[in-house]
Order: sequence, then C-alpha cells, then structure tokens
Amino acid sequence: MPEPLHVKVFRFNPESDVAPKFDHFQVPVFDNMAILDVVMHIQNYLDRSLSFRFSCRIGMCGSCAMYVNGRARLACRTQVSSLKTRDITVMPLPNFPIIRDLVVDMEPFFDKWKKIKPYYLPKKEIDAPVTVQPDSDEREFIDDMLDCISCGCCYSACSMVATHKDYLGPAALNRAYTLIADKRDAIRVERLKAVDRSYGVWRCHTQFNCAEVCPKNIVPTRSIQNLKRRCVLKKIGVFK
Amino acid sequence: MHAWTWLLQRISAVILLIVVGFHIGFLHFSNTGEPLNYGEVVTRLKTPILMVFDVLLLIFGIYHALYGVYSVFLDFDSGKKERVLVFALFVAVGVGIVGFGIFGLLYTAGSL
Repeated sequence: MPEPLHVKVFRFNPESDVAPKFDHFQVPVFDNMAILDVVMHIQNYLDRSLSFRFSCRIGMCGSCAMYVNGRARLACRTQVSSLKTRDITVMPLPNFPIIRDLVVDMEPFFDKWKKIKPYYLPKKEIDAPVTVQPDSDEREFIDDMLDCISCGCCYSACSMVATHKDYLGPAALNRAYTLIADKRDAIRVERLKAVDRSYGVWRCHTQFNCAEVCPKNIVPTRSIQNLKRRCVLKKIGVFK
Repeated sequence: MHAWTWLLQRISAVILLIVVGFHIGFLHFSNTGEPLNYGEVVTRLKTPILMVFDVLLLIFGIYHALYGVYSVFLDFDSGKKERVLVFALFVAVGVGIVGFGIFGLLYTAGSL
C-alpha cells in the first residue's frame, strides 16, 4: 500500500469565515491520479463542504484551474506523480476574488475580455467561404493562440495583473491579437485602439509568467509583443 | 507616446549591442600594456571613432536604462500629473547625464 498523499487545502467562506485557513487531509493514491481526483476524493469521502469547480475533466473547459504546489494548473490535467512529492497544497487561483474555498470569481477576468470585443466581426464585402486558407502562413501564425480555453492560469500568474486591477491581462490581449491578426475582421483598428493603452499592451514587461503556466502551451507574451509592433505600425500609418 | 518610446528602446538595444561590442573590442585590442596609465587612456580617447562610439554608448545606454526605470515607475498606480512630472524629471536627468558625460569625454580628450 503506497503512502497516502498529505493534502493541504485552502478553505474560506467569505460569508461566514473571519479569515482563510488550511485543512489537512490524507488521501489514498492510485495510478494515474490527477489533482482533480484528489479534491474529488476529499469532497466524496472526507469533507462534503469543500467547494471547487470542474466540468469536462479532459482539459477542454478550463474550469478546474487551481494553484497547486505554488503554480497555476488545470486540476484535471495535472498528474499527482508529476509533482514528485506526497505533500500537496491546493489553493484558489491568485489575482481573483474568492467565492468559496477553491472557487474564484471569474467576472473581473471576463470583464476585460469584453473590453476587447472578443468576437469576430466580418467585413461585409467578404463573400468567399474560406478567405484565410488553413495551411497559409497567416493561419498558422495564430493557430496556437486560438487554443486558449480561458482557464485564467495566465491571468493568475501575471505579476502585472497583481499590481493593477485595470491591466487587461495576457488572456484578453492574446484573444485581441488573434482577431487583430485576422484580415477578415472589420474592427481591427478599433480593437488595436482598445489595447494601445497604459493598462493594455504597454503594461506587459515580457516576464513570460503567463507562458510558463499556460496548460495549452500558448505564449501570450508573444501575442502582446506582436500587438506592440502593430501599435507602432498604426502610428506610422502602415496598419489599417 | 508609448509606441514611440517602446520602439526607441528596441532600437537602442540593437545599437547598444553594436557600440558596447565595439567599445570592449577596441579597448581590448588597443591595450598598449599593463598597467595602463592616464596618458595612454587620453591618447586612446583621442581616436575619433572611439569618441563617436562612446558618445553613442552614452546616449543610448542612458536612454535604455532610464526608460526601463520609468517603465517600473509606471507599474505604481500614479496619476497623470505624477506621470508627466516624473517623465519630465527623467528627461532632465537623462539630458543632464548625457551632457555631462559628453563634456567629460571631450574634456579628457583635450578637445575643449
């Protein structure tokens, strides 16, 4: 019988608790166990009041992001064995208001998405069914960036988000870039104006914390740097 | 303004790579002997191309450094008035250091 996991879980209910605390649990291990299995075991057998969010269990929905052993991760895609330790600390994502225990309020995160208008608006004159070919350089350039599942890991890891609540953050800026780089989009210039602000792209100091934690291996810093270049091109009248 | 200052910092980084490389290389290969004495340093500084590269190093080095510090300042939640004041202060400090540096180089080289 392998040694059980020693799991320390952040607990806080803002409605009833004066201050956050940590609860300790012993959790039995099984093969291919993920962090999501760990917190589900706690909820099913040890403490039914533990709150956390999850849905797809296959790394698609982005709802189970947690701060595990000092790093933002998707609970469903993080194998216990990958942590190389029996001591596990699970906390809610930093930089988000806490609703309860491991559940955070994603509202500020998505409010920033709204500011960049995260939906595609086509130019009216485009009639062709496929304007950007799937194998074109233009398409390949943004392909990786389109994989974002809006889990909030990058937002929680960004020290610039931590220092100012108005900074748009890596996820929203990455999304803006995928649309601004799309020549079919009708409001590219408007989008670029929305990010060309002190608390837009210029807040990023290229620390790559976002890229470090992204479970989809996206590099939002690269998108932000590309946006900065486009801001310069807009100033000299090249970007239209 | 962000776009221009950011672009200039990128350009200054490339220029710094060149001028720092030249500066180090020139000092290494024109080293006449150890220990160096003041007269040899002055003689070396009278080389026009070294003077040009050193002045460029001074200008772009100061800009690059001060812009970096100013970016850190922007991380603090300051108002527009404070930002303008600090920007003006950084410009004054930068111009002052570059002016004093160029004066020092020319004075040492005996051009003043």
